Amino acid sequence: MNRSRRITRDALASLLADKRRTALMMVGLATGVAVLSAVVAVGQGTRQRVLGLVRKHGLDMLMVRAGGEAQVFAPRADRGLAVLFEADARAIEAELPNVAMVSAVQNQRGIPVVHQDRSVTTRAFGVEDDWMEIRRWGVAEGEFVSAADLATASRVVLLGARVARDLFPQGGAVGQVVRVAGDPFTVKGVFVEMGASAGGDDWDDRIVMPYTTSSRRVLNRPALEQIVIRVADARRLGATADRVRELLRTRHAIGPGERDDFFVREPEDVEGAALEASSTLTALLLAVAIVALLAGGVVIANSMLAAVAQRAREIGIRRAAGAQASDIARQFLLEAVAVALAGGLVGVAAGIAAAASLGAVGIASSRITWLPFALALGSCALIGLAAGVLPARRAARLDPAAAIRDPAR
Amino acid sequence: MIDAVGLTRSYRRNATVIPVLVGLSLRVARGEFVAVMGASGSGKSTLLGILGLLDRPDGGTYRLDGAEPPWGDDAALSAARNAAIGFVFQQFHLLERATALRNVALPLLYAAGDVADDAGRAERALEAVGLAHRALHYPGELSGGEQQRVAIARALVNDPALILADEPTGSLDATSGGEILDTLRRLADRGRTIVLVTHERAVAERADRVVTLHDGRLTGPPLPPGPAERPGRAAAADDAARAAGS
Repeated sequence: MNRSRRITRDALASLLADKRRTALMMVGLATGVAVLSAVVAVGQGTRQRVLGLVRKHGLDMLMVRAGGEAQVFAPRADRGLAVLFEADARAIEAELPNVAMVSAVQNQRGIPVVHQDRSVTTRAFGVEDDWMEIRRWGVAEGEFVSAADLATASRVVLLGARVARDLFPQGGAVGQVVRVAGDPFTVKGVFVEMGASAGGDDWDDRIVMPYTTSSRRVLNRPALEQIVIRVADARRLGATADRVRELLRTRHAIGPGERDDFFVREPEDVEGAALEASSTLTALLLAVAIVALLAGGVVIANSMLAAVAQRAREIGIRRAAGAQASDIARQFLLEAVAVALAGGLVGVAAGIAAAASLGAVGIASSRITWLPFALALGSCALIGLAAGVLPARRAARLDPAAAIRDPAR
Repeated sequence: MIDAVGLTRSYRRNATVIPVLVGLSLRVARGEFVAVMGASGSGKSTLLGILGLLDRPDGGTYRLDGAEPPWGDDAALSAARNAAIGFVFQQFHLLERATALRNVALPLLYAAGDVADDAGRAERALEAVGLAHRALHYPGELSGGEQQRVAIARALVNDPALILADEPTGSLDATSGGEILDTLRRLADRGRTIVLVTHERAVAERADRVVTLHDGRLTGPPLPPGPAERPGRAAAADDAARAAGS
């Protein structure tokens, strides 16, 4: 074994031989890295979750529901006071800035859909042609409702993935005729699998037709259940929601102090707030972590400086045995870097564990990628190196004769 | 082996300069066992530090094995110390957290180039001092005499020509001390050069020759006894004058 490998091995063995000192030096850095790792993992997890939601539904959507806030969770039968009309939708579209698209929405449960000997009972939606883009749905086969379909109130229907599966187990639904509440409709398209909403609604268990068709031919009523809105600038979603509220209160002649007879929901405002809060928290925790990292470095530098005095005898012994000043310097530097790296590893492990358990109990979603940890370990190595320079120089400069002669000094 | 002429060394403590060695001369022949006697504080350890290349004299010349040490070149100086000199100290100076074996192997760690079978060499050195069975013990688990034998094994592991022993029996009881002196005596008889410093007459008398350090100089026979010159007590005078004459 060559000289530098022997010296390296010996330095590491010395660290292992004094586990208590080594552990104490590691604590600060390990804490910093643990917080840092957890913050990064949770931050990335939150970001990913929110981005996933944006991708799926958009953070740029407002939904106006008929009925006041109190009625949202009331039994469905009580929601008969339908006070949204297409004119409300048109007014929102025409009068408000930052509104990109609007769609009137009707929906009703319990609509039978039959194809030959197969039948399902599902929820029927009547929508306008922008609805799919507002909701960010996708059509797997066929096409979505067109402006012409709306204009002519044509009897076309799109099937949710599950409805399509139930009625057409062999596929090939597009172009077929199904009976919706007794009337023949041509299947214009089939949606992609959408899964379920946060509230547990099965988005694949529905059919969608033009709003004009639903209001005139199927449900035979003009009242809307919803108006969905896509805003142009998602950052002004809240302001736009306020404008919608104002407009509808005026249109519905609701006096001051009276309750809304509608409810404007910002479906993702919870997520937006979560993202914002988490980025504030992330910044705070990052600051804490960086302070902890620096403090960890100072702890290492400090205990190693103290160690130079405490280990004067050891240094003298090593020098007497033939160690060069540079060998001593190298040993101290190596110790500092090794301690820092070990602290970093412990910290990363603790941080990942913390992030994972936060995720497991549902406080935060975490996402673990290798890059932040590689960076954390890299910074630890640098911190160790920086922390080790001064002690190493001092150790190397120690007068070996004096250290041997009166080591107590 | 050792040819030191007119060595001076002083320490500065605050504003005062304390002279420790003032023109000390000493010659030690290869294979000779020389004891340097002196009261505590007389500069014995300082002398040993200089002879062991741990400390540089302020003045005078020092030749080790015919050559002046490469003062100023730490790497070369350390290499020379590693290859040519083994130290034995009063306080043993073992690394507390290393086993006897690792302590003995310490000089091999700093030896130049590749070292084959360092563990084996350390084991054999321990065996030579009769402590093979203690190889994996820590210094704290060994008696004083055993610790000093480990230190001797460490001094020998790299097979140096010169052993420098600083009060090697000073921390030991009479029996253990006697064993250590026997060991050193045996080494000398096998041709190892030894310089031992002590304040005990009985210890010094185990050496081939005794010189006394007093007021920063040596008195006593400054030269190895040889056929041409066998200085007796009467011949012992100012050693600087002798050094000048030799």
